[in-house]
Amino acid sequence: MDAIVLDSVTKVFQRHPGVWPRLRQEVGTQTLALGNVSLCIASGTVQVLLGPNGSGKTTLLKLISTMLLPDSGTLAIHGFDTQRQGAAVRGLVGFAVANERSFFPRLSASENLDFFGALDNIPRRQRADRIREILDTTGLLKHSDKPVMTFSSGMYQRLAMARALLKNPSVILLDEPSRSLDPGSAARLWHLVRQISYRGATVIVATHSFQEALAVGDNVAVLARGTLAGRCGVETALSSDDLRRFYFDAIGEIDDELHLSIPTHDSESALAG
Amino acid sequence: MLDKIAAILRRDLLIATRYRAALFIASAGGVLEIAGLYYLSKAIGPGFRPEGMNSYPFLLVGTGFYTFLLMGISCFVSSIQEAQQAGTLEVLMTSSTNPATLVLLSAISSFGGKGLTFLLYLAAGLLISGAHFGHPSFLPFCCVLGLSLAIAIAIGMGTAAMQLTVRKGSAIVWLLGSAVWLLAGAMFPVSALPPWLQTVARFIPMTHSLTAMRLALFTGGFTMPLLRELSVLAGFAILLLPVSLVFFSAALRRARLHGTLCYS
Repeated sequence: MDAIVLDSVTKVFQRHPGVWPRLRQEVGTQTLALGNVSLCIASGTVQVLLGPNGSGKTTLLKLISTMLLPDSGTLAIHGFDTQRQGAAVRGLVGFAVANERSFFPRLSASENLDFFGALDNIPRRQRADRIREILDTTGLLKHSDKPVMTFSSGMYQRLAMARALLKNPSVILLDEPSRSLDPGSAARLWHLVRQISYRGATVIVATHSFQEALAVGDNVAVLARGTLAGRCGVETALSSDDLRRFYFDAIGEIDDELHLSIPTHDSESALAG
Repeated sequence: MLDKIAAILRRDLLIATRYRAALFIASAGGVLEIAGLYYLSKAIGPGFRPEGMNSYPFLLVGTGFYTFLLMGISCFVSSIQEAQQAGTLEVLMTSSTNPATLVLLSAISSFGGKGLTFLLYLAAGLLISGAHFGHPSFLPFCCVLGLSLAIAIAIGMGTAAMQLTVRKGSAIVWLLGSAVWLLAGAMFPVSALPPWLQTVARFIPMTHSLTAMRLALFTGGFTMPLLRELSVLAGFAILLLPVSLVFFSAALRRARLHGTLCYS
């Protein structure tokens, strides 16, 4: 059964000029974030989104979370339409946003989670245990009483993950989850994502890392300039290089890493000589 | 719902106590304002009796209640504005709590704090001056407070919607505050205004809030003038609350369509 169904979803960001520029007959600008994207994601799978900057990955996650609404097309989460049944969708979806500032800086990690947990209808009696468990899972238990303004980027990233998992959602959206993590923490996070998926939750991971895509994903979708440029199962991409080739074929760009050699001390000396 | 109110109150209390300098500055500002009003009424002298009342309690109730309502309204804008700037608004708007309820609960928390400040302001003012209210009555006081709160919440939701739509909610509150300060009778009776401005003042809900609050505290009981003011306040509340909720929902939907929930 499909947990997430996108049918011809289009999202355009419009920038309207202010009153004075409009009087000077300036026109607004339009940016196509997603154009006619159709995608079905099966329940209990991990869907990876790959794509260059500005390809529409985060927009897609925001549309699923109802942070944004589509301009046309429909988007359903477990059968609930994001436009007409937003409240039901919000109850099902947990979103770990990439924004590190989305917490109350003077509150501790557990105080932040307690606040967001209350808004997500987690009963007060269960909340303390649930927060403890989730902080332990994300490796933040020993930092639970520290004000989050003292956290590093990686810790914010893990706290965002903890907040997304707190309400035990059936759909979890992760936007570049290992962006600021050290290799050890990233490996633990990938293990956690797989565990969540085995428990039946559907996970969507937006990333730039081929290694991450292979480590956690069941399926990979490549977005380019707001369109779905390619899809494959992870089993068809045997290695990071296979996936890399698939990615660059899909987006229609030349893999610069194949052509550009990284300058070394010797090559620089030869050039200088 | 109670659990959510408690969570929001706890959050606001924790944040307030952890910004100690701001707490101290706000308290000091209140004390200085009370002293300023006291010496102002001394300078004016006992001959000035606005609406038949002593000038100091008149000023104290007028400015205190006006500040309470205006600060409460501005809380709606500032809660949206701060969340937009900090990036928490997007996350809050995707929680399982209805967005309008969430903004309302945040404002109730702020109103709670401002209400406490208002009561302390009145008590401190009376203590410093040795003045007293005529015949304060608890039930009329609560009725005026409740209806004025409902109106302030409605206006606050409207300004929050403006903040979501044009991101200039604070400018609107500033304009509103200046107009209300001039017209609603916070510092001087409305009867001192030219007749055409008195007509305009009658269409401002705060004019009736301030008049009703003074009547509740100075004359005591449900007198005819107070009942008349209460019915006007009830009319404003019934009209403004549903309109503001519809306006806020439309503004939120627009923000979701345009991707303007946060500043980035």
